[in-house]
Amino acid sequence: MPRRFRCWVLTMALLIGVATPGAAHHSGALFYDPDGGISITGTVTKFSFRNPHAIIELAVDNADGEQARWIAETSAPSALRRRGWSQESLAIGEEVTLEGIRARDGSLLMRVTRVTRADGTEVGVPRGIDN
Amino acid sequence: MKATGNAIVAALGAIACAPLLDLAMVASADESSQPDLSGYWMITFGALPPRREPTPLERSLIERLPPGTVLLGDSGLPEFPPGEFGGLEVLEGALDAARRYDPEVQRSVATTCQPPGIIYSMQGPFPIEIFQGSRLIVMKLEYFDLVRIVFMDETDHPDDWPLSVTGHSIGHWEGDTLVVDTARLQPATLLNNGLDHTEHVRLLERFRLSEDGSTLAVTQEIEDPQVFTGRAARVLSLERGDGHVYPYACDPSYGVAIETRDKQ
Repeated sequence: MPRRFRCWVLTMALLIGVATPGAAHHSGALFYDPDGGISITGTVTKFSFRNPHAIIELAVDNADGEQARWIAETSAPSALRRRGWSQESLAIGEEVTLEGIRARDGSLLMRVTRVTRADGTEVGVPRGIDN
Repeated sequence: MKATGNAIVAALGAIACAPLLDLAMVASADESSQPDLSGYWMITFGALPPRREPTPLERSLIERLPPGTVLLGDSGLPEFPPGEFGGLEVLEGALDAARRYDPEVQRSVATTCQPPGIIYSMQGPFPIEIFQGSRLIVMKLEYFDLVRIVFMDETDHPDDWPLSVTGHSIGHWEGDTLVVDTARLQPATLLNNGLDHTEHVRLLERFRLSEDGSTLAVTQEIEDPQVFTGRAARVLSLERGDGHVYPYACDPSYGVAIETRDKQ
């Protein structure tokens, strides 16, 4: 097989290999325990408001005085926008309480269903029929 | 990245074609007799059949499914947990692959922005926007910026049409119901938990508008003899809304946060 053709075949195989398996659908059911309700309070260290899902990173004080780094996954920002969220919804250093369900694998990862500020106000509005 | 690139090219093409759609609609002789599905549609977040009783509109489409069709209960927000396949009789090879499936692959930096294919994407909790002409119907999905072109003036799927996440769709009207037949789909997600369809999958969708134009009922009829026996179907119900779908603009750095999470 000519070298140039071999190279073309290999390139196409790699492209197909990348495009076909491992499609993303960001399943909640596979990662999160629906019975694993959790509520944590901490300080926002990072807020990425981008699809596929917005990410809140939170520094949470442990009982032993150390800080744990939690990753909290929200809905897709395009959906959150319809519920009153924006990339300015959370500020670095802000204290918030996150409610949701935690990861099946016991890692410091959770899926957020509600975010409440220190003054008790909720970020965004609850999901409705058209948002 | 290849699939995402295809979606972007398709989206640009759809935008470029938008003025032509108006002309195509004017040129149609019998178009006024067809329901107008154009507009912004959002899938119902509540339970859908078989998780609840179908509405009369949904029932009118369910009755057109072949006898024995398995209705999947994962339309909209619900998802199947690991190892549940919604009552499908899954063939051994596909079952093995699903059992070996590692869900972490959904969220790596490399894969997190790879669209899961049109079958799974159509039932996801994201809006779609329909642009209806007599020769083309364009469906713009917010999910992964996917764009579907339904050719209303073609009757066959070209053998040399490249496999893709959106495939090749041909449509026709059966009375007040839009019927869309899709083939040439590349292997992609069927259920969320590792059960994928092959390139041999066939998708037959029916779209029917309520009398007041506020609700669009859809059935997805799915057949893939290399993955499961018989036929599967999903029932979707979409509510008409205002506005446009947003850009999805997937950012793979999401995968970094997931991959670097700390253990307890």
